[in-house]
Amino acid sequence: MAYQELIKDFQNTRETMRSFLVYGLKTRTGFAGKSARTYDDERRRIASWLGEYMCWRQDQDGRKVFLSVDSRQIPHNPLYQAFRACSFTDRDITLHFLLLDLLDVEEGHTSGELLDAIEDRYLADFQDPLHLDESTLRKKLKEYEALGLAVSEKAGRTVLYRRAPDTGVDLGRWRDAVSFFSEASPLGVVGSFLLQRLGNPDQPFRFKHHYILHALDSDILCTLLDAIRRHRAVELTLPSWKSDSANTQQVFPVRILWNIQTGRQYLLAVKPRESRLRAIRADNVQDVQVLEEEPRWRERKAAAEEQAQHLWGVSTNGWPALEHIACTVRVQPGQEYILQRLERERRCGKVEAVDPLTRLFTADVYGAEELIPWLRSFLGSIQSLECSNPQVERTFWNDFAALEALYGGTDHALS
Amino acid sequence: MEGQTMLFHEIYGTYYQVVSAILSEAVDRTLTRKRLNDLVQELAFGESNLTIPAKLQQEKWQLLRKDYTTPIQRTPSMPLTLLEKRWLKALLQDPRIALFDVDDAGLEDVEPLYNPTDIAVADQAADGDPWTDPAYIAHFRTALQAVREQRPLHVKYRAANGHWQRWTAVPSNLEYSPKDDKFRLLIPGRTLNMARILECALADPEAPLSPPTKRPEGRSVTFLLKDQRNALERVLLHFSHLEKETVQLEEDLYRCTLRYRAEDETEMVIRILSFGPMLQVTDPPAFLDKIRDRLQRQRALGVPETHETS
Repeated sequence: MAYQELIKDFQNTRETMRSFLVYGLKTRTGFAGKSARTYDDERRRIASWLGEYMCWRQDQDGRKVFLSVDSRQIPHNPLYQAFRACSFTDRDITLHFLLLDLLDVEEGHTSGELLDAIEDRYLADFQDPLHLDESTLRKKLKEYEALGLAVSEKAGRTVLYRRAPDTGVDLGRWRDAVSFFSEASPLGVVGSFLLQRLGNPDQPFRFKHHYILHALDSDILCTLLDAIRRHRAVELTLPSWKSDSANTQQVFPVRILWNIQTGRQYLLAVKPRESRLRAIRADNVQDVQVLEEEPRWRERKAAAEEQAQHLWGVSTNGWPALEHIACTVRVQPGQEYILQRLERERRCGKVEAVDPLTRLFTADVYGAEELIPWLRSFLGSIQSLECSNPQVERTFWNDFAALEALYGGTDHALS
Repeated sequence: MEGQTMLFHEIYGTYYQVVSAILSEAVDRTLTRKRLNDLVQELAFGESNLTIPAKLQQEKWQLLRKDYTTPIQRTPSMPLTLLEKRWLKALLQDPRIALFDVDDAGLEDVEPLYNPTDIAVADQAADGDPWTDPAYIAHFRTALQAVREQRPLHVKYRAANGHWQRWTAVPSNLEYSPKDDKFRLLIPGRTLNMARILECALADPEAPLSPPTKRPEGRSVTFLLKDQRNALERVLLHFSHLEKETVQLEEDLYRCTLRYRAEDETEMVIRILSFGPMLQVTDPPAFLDKIRDRLQRQRALGVPETHETS
């Protein structure tokens, strides 16, 4: 099949784009499971969408193409471009412009009247007019109704279609809010569609600590959020770790957890006959099917929310027992900013003042091992560390010893 | 309704946008072949010029006649979709919306796309900016106007040491950090926390500007990474918002160089340290010294006897 700039299925492209952005070191042969031709087409397509953000480097293993982005410098998430590349048929685009021209806000028309008008007033000018039938037209009208572009009403036995009315949203007044939230809120890609309508105004905002990769999961997230709002169970398609094929899993979705510092989004959910809250990485979800409403949704949601109060990140490894962790942080005069950081980043933990230069941090969580990376960021100021799970203390201090070895000489270097 | 969450759909696509722009000029009877190609070049993807003009000229998309006129009667426009309206309605529940002068006009009967309780942020700082404070909102709006209009701004600012400073400058941008949940105002050579601004007013366009401070040069740090327990993905994802270069040295050994701003050096030390022995910084020496200093301070502060290995 000839190369196409547009795509029908987002999933394949999502995987390739993630590989480019995160790794930045794969060559043509490093993309497992894809033919060289498929890789070439995907690389060409992504380069066509992202232009200036694509870089490449040649080394002895071959040409390595990657995305290198300082997200602080860019006004808009470039990955949103991928959502503007959905393929369509010749009929789709022709009907889109003809229908929006023809449909009236006030006066309704039957699908038969619309078909006649399209053939007589629009297509008659062309040498080989597009062949249309009423059923195709009705299908398109139904689709546009679902999108919110058209409305229908029954008049006796006939259905009349009208253009959806302009609801009075003054989009110009929303310009700055949309500019900001298109980057700073979930599903910001929808904001980018609105900015396109506004002629892509200059972006007055910039973003620090801005992870752009989650944009690729927007379609999945949109469906999950819809299911959460409507208390529906979902069937997720997830990769199988044992084989190349995917498997499916039914869960009751509770909420989306956004881990800003890693850029990852998780679905917090419970399985049908379990109480334990689980975190499922949104970037692992390949497909979502929305199922029936969960009959016990109030009860299940309340139980899940209770558990969520004791999550440091996403781990529930210690469930159902809570693990208690206590860490004393002591600083030198002039280093009080470290104590302020402790207070600022304590999440579900508590911070108590022991003296002006010492604080006691405590938390009761389901997976205390998840605190280890954060606690390491206080190295140099940790006076004591105790945890009801002794493995946490062991790992922490063993890692400290390994760090001392790494930075104390070359004998223990990683290389 | 299933259609409510159709996000990956051609109606939001670049091709539809470009064809809409082309048809707008055709409706006005100003479209020419050259103008059609220029619009595609300007508004579409890198290789769209191979497709869009041909599809229109060959009447595959039956929207444009041979003479570049169109049977379309009205300038193309599309009502807001349900998805777009639901997203706007969801924003109205976000506390940060108070910064902007918007309301629910036209969205009264629309369901929000999500509720605030449907999404939780795991690791956001607890001392975010005061989104509903009237003085903060007023400062923000004035600063935003100055950025938009590129006008000088008078700012009275409380620095981290508690001292007051005054600046007159043309701000380039407002910078938001989701991790800190704070806005910062970027003026030449300076970054000012919006919440520490005490006074903020538009200045006369001819007002003398404060001498700009030179921003420190960008810096870089290089580390080795052993890919155990999915470390490569975790580290590269964690730093994916920075410019970087990664090179594979051996089967499971990688060298990564990250570029960052000098003002963020302490934060970079902390973040690299949080990965523990998974990473080993190799360059520059000054960065290595900062890590060693923290390890030595920790050794001096105490390490449990069972872990005395040094």
